[in-house]
Amino acid sequence: MTRNAKTLFALWAIAVTMLVIGFNFDSLYNTFCKVTGYGGTTGQADVNDSEVINRTVRVNFDANVAGGLAWEFSPDQPYMDVKLGQTGVAFYTAKNVSSKPIVGTANFNVTPIKAAPYFIKTECFCFTEQLIMPGESIPMPVMFFVEPSMDDERRYDDIKSVTLSYTFFKVENPKDFDLSGELGKQGAAQGRDALN
Amino acid sequence: MVAGYGDDHAHDHKPKFFTRWFYSTNHKDIGTLYLIFAIVAGVLGGFLSFWMRAELGEPGIQYFEDDIRRFNVYATMHGLIMIFFVVMPALIGGFGNWFVPIMIGAPDMAFPRMNNLSFWLLPTAFACICISFFVPGGEGGEAGFGGGWVMYPPLSTSGSPGPAFDFIIVGLLAAGFSSIFGAINFITTILNMRAPGMTMHKMPLFAWSVLVTAFLLLLALPVLAASLFMLLTDRIPGGTGFFDPSMGGDPVMFQHLFWFFGHPEVYIMILPAFGIVSHVVSTASKKPIFGYLGMAYAMVAIGVVGFVVWAHHMYTVGMHPFLKAYFVAATLVIAVPTGVKVFSWLATMWGGSIRFTIPMQWALAFIILFVIGGVTGVVLANASIDTLLHDTYFVVAHFHYVLSMGAVFGIFCGFYYWFGKMSGYLYNKWLAGAHFWLFFIGVNLIFMPQHFMDMKRRYVDYPVEMADLNWLSTMGIIPTGLGMLFFFLMLIEAFIVRRPAGDNYWGEGATTLEWTLSSPPPFHQFNKLPVMEYDDHH
Repeated sequence: MTRNAKTLFALWAIAVTMLVIGFNFDSLYNTFCKVTGYGGTTGQADVNDSEVINRTVRVNFDANVAGGLAWEFSPDQPYMDVKLGQTGVAFYTAKNVSSKPIVGTANFNVTPIKAAPYFIKTECFCFTEQLIMPGESIPMPVMFFVEPSMDDERRYDDIKSVTLSYTFFKVENPKDFDLSGELGKQGAAQGRDALN
Repeated sequence: MVAGYGDDHAHDHKPKFFTRWFYSTNHKDIGTLYLIFAIVAGVLGGFLSFWMRAELGEPGIQYFEDDIRRFNVYATMHGLIMIFFVVMPALIGGFGNWFVPIMIGAPDMAFPRMNNLSFWLLPTAFACICISFFVPGGEGGEAGFGGGWVMYPPLSTSGSPGPAFDFIIVGLLAAGFSSIFGAINFITTILNMRAPGMTMHKMPLFAWSVLVTAFLLLLALPVLAASLFMLLTDRIPGGTGFFDPSMGGDPVMFQHLFWFFGHPEVYIMILPAFGIVSHVVSTASKKPIFGYLGMAYAMVAIGVVGFVVWAHHMYTVGMHPFLKAYFVAATLVIAVPTGVKVFSWLATMWGGSIRFTIPMQWALAFIILFVIGGVTGVVLANASIDTLLHDTYFVVAHFHYVLSMGAVFGIFCGFYYWFGKMSGYLYNKWLAGAHFWLFFIGVNLIFMPQHFMDMKRRYVDYPVEMADLNWLSTMGIIPTGLGMLFFFLMLIEAFIVRRPAGDNYWGEGATTLEWTLSSPPPFHQFNKLPVMEYDDHH
């Protein structure tokens, strides 16, 4: 192989590497957000096995619906006081105010952003797609705790309250539900009932 | 030469017209093609900007009554054309192809046929971009894409369902691959094909600037290609949702991807101009460039740091203050190597017997105007101030001072410096001087008032209070347009009168290898391989 050909292949390797990084930026970005809590990304765990310590944090609940989704969505309680390490269960309620069955999915974040990595959810309606039939109103539970290790560092001492915020978006092509089959017919019927 | 193999090369044997220009593998011919292409695209891109400026000459809507969204289509096309089809082809493809092989003592580029591919991808890409201007793009079926050259989703995904934006994606992919091929070619040429004795630390600064630029292209453009592919699949109904929050995506991620490409891109456009200006200042001062190694490594430093400052374009997305603090500090650091370059140019002129030739006038104007644009850049680098200035005409003024006056003055500087070398004819000094002064006055008249307008970008109309400065700014297009007219008159005059240029028409001070060849250089240069002696300087 000539010297030019060697250089050519080395440079192609660089260009292809950058292309691959570009395409996988999606997963890199998600991993980065989860690890650092960038943008208020919360943590996720199967169980809460941390000990409860005597420091209380107020968790405020916020609910939003993105444009194009005919739902009403609100928290059942404005806030909740929990001790660090204590499991809290909060409920939101979502209602479909249209005459069609709609699948939605929720995005979330926690502010202040620096507290987000310590805010851990064990169960959440935001982990899966949600189907609501026309006129139907369903409760949306979330189980969470704040990691007690947040108490170890002084830079988190000023955190007296955090806000958990959700935004529901419409899912145009649901993966978990098939609205074209039986479910869709049932939804249409229910929609007619709701209108009457 | 091997006996019996023929020695056509010595006789400067050129192929016939079609073969020479369409199948061209000669770096000088390809460079010429790039320059002609850039001039044609520049006229179109300039026309778009004149039309927008005319619209903004007074409050109310003058020329865009039918579809005010069209104004943003003009702005988008102006940006894309000027960046991808004027500045990059002229500086890298044009002057880079013409002079990098000659300056390092190489017979041609490393991969001449890949060079041909690089060029011919560009007109293809440009055709796609031009088609996009006329086909439906918006939600109401209006023609063209008006989402800016930054192409942020959701406006570029669900907001522009028509094919206009698909044409832009295809066009930019073609232009991007053209640049990647070009970058690979330049790096291989510069690393492997230098003449004996031409070490990296003796290489002319223009070759250094193109080397750094080529590495930036190689690292940044594949990321643009990836994000364009993602936009394309996001646009397909039922396709992916990389940037769609309802599918777990994030529109801010696109901004990160785009600016990871977009910030190095602005250095891609200015670094070759740095190289050209260094040669012109040194030649006109009859002195070697001051601080040669510092100049070369300042460009390397700008290139490296340029990759870790991208989020200063997106301070308003709601990022963490600590993250902003990092990006502010990193961005301000770039002022240091840039300062090294500016002060080295001044030191080169210091004590020299300066000749105010036409290219030197462009070079001096470049330094002054680039510093003005750089200073407003330092202002904008501060996150707290940028929050107020984001998306205002202050930003427009800033990037036009560094690009429309930095990069474009660099292009004209190189054009007048090498015009005799490339064409073999001398230009008329009076016509060239008229071009310079009209253009200099015109662009300053356009962009200086924009610093003080306190007006948001990307709107077709504005409140009456802003009328005076806008009128002044619009008046600037008259001298600018006349200046361009003199540029074309200068070209026509030079090719009619045909005053022959000598081998080295700048005389003492022009020390790089292109001045050892005839004007224009032979079709295949360096029958005798140049050898750099130990005490030769750049």
